Amino acid sequence: MTQTMRQPTLDTLGLGAVLDIFKAGRLPANPAGLVDEVFGSGEKRGSLVISGASGIVGAGKTMQLGSRLHPYGVPVVALDLPGAPDGLGAQYPGLVQAFGKEGADAVMASIIRMSYDGKSLPDELKELRPSFLLEAIPEILDIKKAHYKVFRDSFPDIAIRSVTSGFPSSELGVGIAHPAFPHEINKMWEVVEPEPSAVTQLLWALGLIPVPVSDHWSFVLDVLFCGVTLAGLRYHEASNMPFWKIDKLVRKLVGPNPFRAHDVIGAQGANFLTWSCLHHLSGTYGDVFKPAEELVVRKETGQTWYPPNHFRPLVDWKLSDGEDEVFRTWILGPLFQMASLLVHEGRGHFANLNAIGELCAQFRKGILAMARESGADSVIETVGAYHSLHPTAAENGWHPEAFQDMDSHEWQQLYVNAEHDGEVGVITLSRESYCGEVDAELNRAMDWLKGVGIDRVILTGDFHLSTQMIGADISEFFPAVEEEEEGFRISSGWSRTARRLDEDFQISVGVVNGKRCLGGMLELLMHCHYLVAVDGAQLGMPEITLPVIPGMEGCHWPFRKADREDWGKVLTLLLGGRPVKASEATGWLIDYAGTLEETLGMAWILATGGDGSLPRRSVEGAGLEGVPTDVPGLPEADGVMGRAARTAMVDCIQGACGAGLSEALELQARHSGAFMTSTACKKGEIGAQYTRTMAV
Amino acid sequence: MLSRARIPYGTWGSSYFPAWQTSALAEVNIGQFAGESMARILSLRGVKKTELDYMVIGSTIPWHWKFWTAPLVSSCMGHRIPGYHVEQACATGLQAVLLGAAEVDNGGSDVVGVVTFDRTSDSPVGVFPERRAHERTQAIADVWDNFGFDPATGNAMITAAGITARKYKTDRREVDDVAYHRYQQYFEAKDSGFLDRVMVPLEVLNVAGRPLGRVDDDYGVREITLDGLRAMRELDTCVTGGTQTHASDGMSGLLVATEERARELSPKPEIDIQFVAKTEMRTHPSLMPEAPAFAVQKLLDRTGLTMADMAVVKNHNPFAVNDVIFAELLDYDWRDMNNTGCPLVWGHPQGPTLTRVIIEALEEAVDLGGGHVLVFGCAAGDVGIASIFKVN
Repeated sequence: MTQTMRQPTLDTLGLGAVLDIFKAGRLPANPAGLVDEVFGSGEKRGSLVISGASGIVGAGKTMQLGSRLHPYGVPVVALDLPGAPDGLGAQYPGLVQAFGKEGADAVMASIIRMSYDGKSLPDELKELRPSFLLEAIPEILDIKKAHYKVFRDSFPDIAIRSVTSGFPSSELGVGIAHPAFPHEINKMWEVVEPEPSAVTQLLWALGLIPVPVSDHWSFVLDVLFCGVTLAGLRYHEASNMPFWKIDKLVRKLVGPNPFRAHDVIGAQGANFLTWSCLHHLSGTYGDVFKPAEELVVRKETGQTWYPPNHFRPLVDWKLSDGEDEVFRTWILGPLFQMASLLVHEGRGHFANLNAIGELCAQFRKGILAMARESGADSVIETVGAYHSLHPTAAENGWHPEAFQDMDSHEWQQLYVNAEHDGEVGVITLSRESYCGEVDAELNRAMDWLKGVGIDRVILTGDFHLSTQMIGADISEFFPAVEEEEEGFRISSGWSRTARRLDEDFQISVGVVNGKRCLGGMLELLMHCHYLVAVDGAQLGMPEITLPVIPGMEGCHWPFRKADREDWGKVLTLLLGGRPVKASEATGWLIDYAGTLEETLGMAWILATGGDGSLPRRSVEGAGLEGVPTDVPGLPEADGVMGRAARTAMVDCIQGACGAGLSEALELQARHSGAFMTSTACKKGEIGAQYTRTMAV
Repeated sequence: MLSRARIPYGTWGSSYFPAWQTSALAEVNIGQFAGESMARILSLRGVKKTELDYMVIGSTIPWHWKFWTAPLVSSCMGHRIPGYHVEQACATGLQAVLLGAAEVDNGGSDVVGVVTFDRTSDSPVGVFPERRAHERTQAIADVWDNFGFDPATGNAMITAAGITARKYKTDRREVDDVAYHRYQQYFEAKDSGFLDRVMVPLEVLNVAGRPLGRVDDDYGVREITLDGLRAMRELDTCVTGGTQTHASDGMSGLLVATEERARELSPKPEIDIQFVAKTEMRTHPSLMPEAPAFAVQKLLDRTGLTMADMAVVKNHNPFAVNDVIFAELLDYDWRDMNNTGCPLVWGHPQGPTLTRVIIEALEEAVDLGGGHVLVFGCAAGDVGIASIFKVN
């Protein structure tokens, strides 16, 4: 019987626990079978119809689904009105970039464009046996309902999902599959259906990220994104601050720049959608969602939020401490109130709700993680202060009790979960990048497993929200750019967490189950006694390209585990910054690479005691001698800054490798912290992002 | 009483007036700058821009897209309202405020934003078809060619100052004394923190959104000594580099509202600022510095007030000669006026000059507990303009 710290998000799709995947040695669903289930098999294979296919959503999803269904021979019908502008053609360059010209041409060849009059369907459609309709037509309820009727009259068994951003399933009479911008690449879909369906599981099997949400007006992404836009608008009304500056301050405080996003998506359509979403929400939940007057006007005119290029902003706005506090109240107050509504209504699994903000609305931390970081009392105080500025918002839609259970695992484990069967534990990461929140949650997960006597553990992605592991979250380093001690604190703290994987468990197995594992995530996983990966995964230490000095022992730990003759490969990985394929890293960086099923199987064998086929590489505790300072064939470092970074990296490697294991952690953390305040770092990617995001 | 309109106390503000070519303002579209600055000033004063329902703008130097006048400036402020543009050389700032009051008086608007601005730096050059000129076409640099040539008289502004000084047999030493005193008044006001209450430091961005410069001082204004003034070479009679103003850039704005709305908008609604009267006079050719005195005398005659009734007296004085002649004609001690500074010291961006004078004068009057405020100045064409406000 699998015990879980909290429900795995995979289970919300009807796909069980992650531990079961390792036990079974395969994924819980496969795309070929689900394609057959949704579209029929053999000669009965039907088609996917996307209506409104020339629009922003329709065109993006035609590309995303078309490219994924093409290998299974599923025709995709792109249906739209005759006069609709060609949104599909505009997608072609992106397709070429992703799949090459030949691949892109093949995908496009599987897409059948059809026009219709909006009232009746083309006769030719019958020959293509539509099995699944993804509706992406305008947000007008009557038109949508009539559209479904036309399809159902002709194809009674067709499965229908609407991409609507506002209407509940109960209003539409069909299920919801609500995607996120940018539609051609964003993998997340909010789905509304009574039980997880084959359609939803197919989306997952195709590598997308469906997340079930409840059937309420407007979905989580829209509540958050429209909500943060509205919060910015309200602050604009109260302060006169121009939208561009509010965008910068919202980005600094929360992450997104909502007004720029509207302009990028297309102000004409985005303004209307945001208004429509808020309009319907305010009808149900009151003034906290009431559209601001400025939005009401702009949904008619389609006016952009940023000034035209010839009127790029001239006068900057700096906030005093007092003004900054008011700004925070105007922005965070309504967002926290909206979060209380999402929790109160049980809109979804907390980790899913939290991830929607990060993966779809550019939140640096999900809304629940933000609330958790503030603490319940502070959140309630902030909303109270907001209500003093906007009293009618207090009349409805405020549920302070939603924050009373913050000590529960559901609240505490938004990014990291743990499962066990009494013998083996699995720790799953639901975030692609490592941050302080992940670090704290990972420690709690390890404590939980240790607390029930589990000393064999697998560390891996969650097979759902996290489809890859891209390293440390750069925004975590912003405080360290100005303060060396902060960099040391982060680096040494995270390293101590990583070492627990080596020291606290009898067996630990790191599993790279996605397409890449880089930087801090790779440093974390390499602390496991075994590291296995799917053979196509990219493994790398791209820190030098930022530049930054790895903080989680990447400068000495892999040397200590590798044979002396492989030190050059490790050094190349660190100084070159280029990733290697897992199949090329076996023996010196990782212990095993294989197909997904093989990797799952090997991980389980190792976690359950091993069959002796894979020796455990030990970590050398003494100082290493003879670690090279250069490798032949490495390209020259770029410019003064590149040379400075390489020198600092070599110094760190030499220092940390030369020290004993017990001293190396602090030594590397000191190097890492010091480098983050250096000119090279400040002039690099971290410095640039820090300046762009925080120095506004 | 001229008007039923009111100026809500404490809702005003002005950029500093850096001398031409000394600040980031030399690089900007000044109409855009004025609109964006007005939004910031109103924010600092606690006024939502949506309170404004009309805008009067004042400027004298052509700026890019000036055809669109107040509607464009209000768009840059972030609130699209109607309005128009007014221009009367250095009288522009006062005329704009008075016309703002007229908009309230005629019942068409409740809250009028008055936004005045000019950029003398790199002023545009107009190319005019001129059939009577042998060139057939003439190019005019808007600022310097106009300063240097009154088409009605053929004389420069500075020549008018010299002619007037000779008419009144003005003493050069007294002119230097006035100028020295004016600088002392300005720096005393600055040191006291007075300017911090009416001036707003503003950060200017370049096209990439990065800092271009901070406009937080009347750049170019330096401490001056009496000996230094005395040693200066005369450019015309009683006019030296130290006793005349200099070109500068900037903006200045305030609100004019109905009595009720003024009370709602002001952080101190108990302060009531009224319009009392206004007049203009035009004197003989090239005697511009005496015109303001005639305008003030006419205003006093019509209102029945005297200079003794004035709590604050403040003027636009491009030449120190102006103040000497005013003092002589009105029998008024020039030491008692321009207590917080004046355009002779902080410069001459034309459009906003008298707006800043009004703002400083009203703020000073509030400090003094109220009373009548006399604001006046000269303008191109040998014109004098004067107005009286009352602070209760």
